[in-house]
Parts: sequence; structure tokens; C-alpha cells
Amino acid sequence: MVKGSKNKFLDFLQILVILLTAVFILVPIYWIVSGAFKQQVDIFQLKLLFTPTLENFEIIFRSPYNLFDKLVNSTLVALSTILIAIPIATMAAYSFSRFRMKGERLMFVTILATQFVPAVVIVLPFFILFRDLGILDTRLALVLVNLSLVMPFAIWMIKGFIDSIPLDSEEAALVDGSSRFQVILNVTLPMALPGVITAGIFCFILAWNEFLFALIITTNKAVTLPVGLSLFHAEEGVLWHLISAAGIMIMLPMFVLATIIQKHFVQGMTMGAVR
Amino acid sequence: MRDRLLKYFLVFPAIFVVASTAFWPLFQSFYLSFREWKLNRARESRALWEYEYDGLENIAYLFDNYLLALEDDLFWNSVRVTSIFTVTSVLVSVGLALGLALLLAPGGKFRLTVRTLLILPFAMSPALIGVSWRFMFQPDFGLFKAFFDVLIPPLADVDWLGDANLAMIALVGSEVWHWTPYLTLVFIGGLATVPQDAQEAAMIDGANSWRIFCDVTLPSILPVLAVGIVLKTIFSLKMFDQVYMLTNGGPGNATQTLAHYIYFNGFKYYNMGYASAVSYLLVIPMFGLTWLYMKLVFLKR
Repeated sequence: MVKGSKNKFLDFLQILVILLTAVFILVPIYWIVSGAFKQQVDIFQLKLLFTPTLENFEIIFRSPYNLFDKLVNSTLVALSTILIAIPIATMAAYSFSRFRMKGERLMFVTILATQFVPAVVIVLPFFILFRDLGILDTRLALVLVNLSLVMPFAIWMIKGFIDSIPLDSEEAALVDGSSRFQVILNVTLPMALPGVITAGIFCFILAWNEFLFALIITTNKAVTLPVGLSLFHAEEGVLWHLISAAGIMIMLPMFVLATIIQKHFVQGMTMGAVR
Repeated sequence: MRDRLLKYFLVFPAIFVVASTAFWPLFQSFYLSFREWKLNRARESRALWEYEYDGLENIAYLFDNYLLALEDDLFWNSVRVTSIFTVTSVLVSVGLALGLALLLAPGGKFRLTVRTLLILPFAMSPALIGVSWRFMFQPDFGLFKAFFDVLIPPLADVDWLGDANLAMIALVGSEVWHWTPYLTLVFIGGLATVPQDAQEAAMIDGANSWRIFCDVTLPSILPVLAVGIVLKTIFSLKMFDQVYMLTNGGPGNATQTLAHYIYFNGFKYYNMGYASAVSYLLVIPMFGLTWLYMKLVFLKR
């Protein structure tokens, strides 16, 4: 009996800690969400109960904030980045997965290692180059630097998916007289497609949330959403209600995408050290 | 047989992209670190090796940018800040994540529901995390003020971001929020690989849960734990986004990390040669850690 009640107490304690964790995770998110629907007065008064308003979402899309431009920039930059990176990464991943090459391992590990080069190191020479070329503050410039961010992850993730496709189906098609190119296009690619899309979503999230490159390379025309967060200042101080509304635009789509690819999200970042 | 050509054809574009977006800047930064170049004053950079000095001095001047860094108190300050930030945020987030993973590892509807929340903080833009935490620490109407008003009134009027130590705690707090849930997911994945029969055998032998944890669980998740620690360390050393948005290195320079110091010298003072040199001082330990990480990840293969 004594042991039973002790176990019950432990169970209760565990549930309590887990609930506290959930609260710890959700409160900062709730803080942004609720701020986005508050009027500025309600922000200052720290009210728990307030009349929700959609006004903030109208204001951020109007001049001088024009958040729609930043939304377009963020979307186009992240989309272009993966549209360039994913096909290139898929080709390389297939080669790494199916063929043996001289120095293959070294090549593969070196590519993966580039994800750890600090962003400031990468952006310094690019800033000078783009300045000389006159393409600072363009989406093109941002896409080019973002490629350094997503390539190692894309190659790693897609290789994992191709590894898991059995060789039999490819070999059968080869025996039937298809060329290797046809096999890749008609057999491997359709089977790898879910994995390729998953990797694309993962890289989209990375590019969407990227901050330092955008902060340095863009100033006005090509500003993305995260950099745009700094715009919401006025004489009376920081406009928290508008920041919160913009924050929802930044985080909500990523929450959806990350939840869709949840399991792969964890593996992608740790390079599959965890199964 | 045409495969022999095809395989190189397929990797070439990827090699080209990685070489030009990662290796070129890496080499270029190294080259720049031996040049004198204030972007706001001079159109061209000037090589330090073109200066004429006598004998040994020549070598010293070649490393001028590096020597300047080593003599700069603010550089050492940023090294100290980065070290403190890295050690505390790694210890706290890895420790908490391990505990939470143990709590959440058993299945059940309740635990699985909470697990789906764990992905959220890591999917959030770090810049947005920085801003929203500054909002929460706002001294007049922030969340923490409201929270402490009710629970611990003496702490209610603390200006978190105005005090050197508290600002560091705030920064670590935001990073712990960002990483702990993610690391928990990583460790839950690791716990799934713990051999069940070994655990059951130990239980039948009458070992208590602490013994089972030390003798069975811990050894088998050690590789995953190591990966988590090294990964978190690497990302902490590069820490920039939240610093910029939450404290902007302040108050004073109390939370100025190395990445922030480099950013400031490069893009506020436009001192490109100097910023490149300092960034190489950051790259060197990173090489070591990356090598270690790769060893850990590819060890079992």
C-alpha cells in the first residue's frame, strides 16, 4: 500500500513537470499571439482580458511598414534558394549513394562540415563582392549566400532517403535496357520524391529564418521578414503590438511546415546521428 | 560503363556551389585578414606585407590585425562572454533536455501530445525569439514583471536587460527555450535505442531506477548525448541573432559575443581586415569541434 501511494505521487510529480514544460514552451508563443491581437493601450496595461482586434494586421501591411514586400522577399528568397539547391543536392546525393568515387568520403564529410562555418566569415567577402558588383540589397545576392546555408543539409537528407530505396528496382530497369539516366528519372526520382520534398521543406525553414546574411546584405528593397522586425519603432518607443503581428507571420507558417516533417526535422539537424 | 563519367557529372554542380559559397569566402577571409582595409575610407585594401619594415618586424606587422585583436580588451571581453554563454547554455539545455527526455520517453497519449509541442521553438526564427524575449523582459509591462508581481514581488521591478549579469541570464534563458525542446526530441530518439531486455533484466535483478539509469540507459545513449553537446556547443560559439535582437551586446558590452564583435567591427566600423582576422580566431576552434562532431556522427558507420 505504501509503495503504491508513493508511485502515485511520483506519477503525479512527473505529470506536473511535463505540464510545466508545456507551459514553458507555450507561454512565449502565446505572448506573441496575444500581443498581436491587442491594441497598444492593452499592451501597456498588461491586461489578461482584452477585446481582440485585427487592426494590427492592417497597419503592418500599410505604409510605412509595407510588410507585404518583406513577405514577398522572404518567400521568393527561400523558394529560389531551395529551387536551386534541391535539384543540385539530389544529383549529388544520388551519386554519393549509388556510386563509389575516389575520395568520396572526404568529399562528402567536407561538404557536410561547411554547415559549421560561422555565417559572419561567409558574409564578409560576399559583402565586398556584392558591393563591387552593385548587387547589394537584391534578392539574388541573398539567394546566393543562402545556398551555403542549405546545401550540406540538403545533400545529407536526400542521400539518406535514396539510401533507403532498394537497389532491386533500379537494377531490374537497367537489365531491361534503360539507360542510367532514364532509371534515375523514371524509377529512383519518383520513389525519392517524398524525401526530396521533406528536405526542401527543411531547407525552406532554414532560409526563411535566416537573419545575419539578410541583415548585412539587405537594407531596403530586399529586406526579409526577420530583418523587418527592426522597423517597428516610433517616437513613443517600440511598437510591440505590431512586432507581435509581424511575428505571427514569421512563425506560424514555419510551425505548420515543421510539424509536417517533424521526425525528419530532428534527424536533418543532427545529420541522422539519431534514428 | 558511362556511369564512370556520370557519377562525377552528378556531383560536380554541388561541389561547385559549395566551393564558391563556403570555401571561397573561407579562403578570402583568410586573405583579407592580412590586409589593411577600412571600407569607409579606402577604395582598395592594402596588403600588410607590402609595408617596408626592418627584419623581424616585417613578420610582426604581417600579423598586425591578429595582434591588434589580442591587444584589444573588447576582443577578450567577447571571448569571455562567448565562453560563459556557451558553457552555461550547453549545460542547462543539455541537462534539462536529458531529464525531459527521460520523462517523455514512455509513450501514452498525454506524453505524445506534449512531444508534438517540442518542435515549435526550434522552428521559430531566432531573431523573432530575441525580439519577443526583449518584449517579455520589458521592465514596465513585460511578461516577467507580471509574473513576478504575482509570485515573487521583490523581483518584479528588476530591469533584466539593464544589468550585466541579468542580461546574460536573459540571453541564456532565451537560448535554453530555443534549444531544450529540440535536444529533448534528439535524446528521446536516443532513448528508443536503449536495449529493452537489458533494462528488464536489471529490473528483475532488483536494481533501482537510478542504478538502471547509470548502468544501462546512460552508456547506450552516450553517443547521442555527445552529438547533442557538440552540436549545441558549435551553435553557441556562433551565437549572433538573439544577441543582436535581445541585448545588442549590452548593457555596455556585457553580452557581446564574438560573432557580434566581428559584426560590429566589420559592418559598423567597416574594418574588413580586422574583422576577418577576428573571425579566423573563431574559425580555428570551430575546425576542431567540427572534426570532433564528424567523428562522433560517423563513428558507428
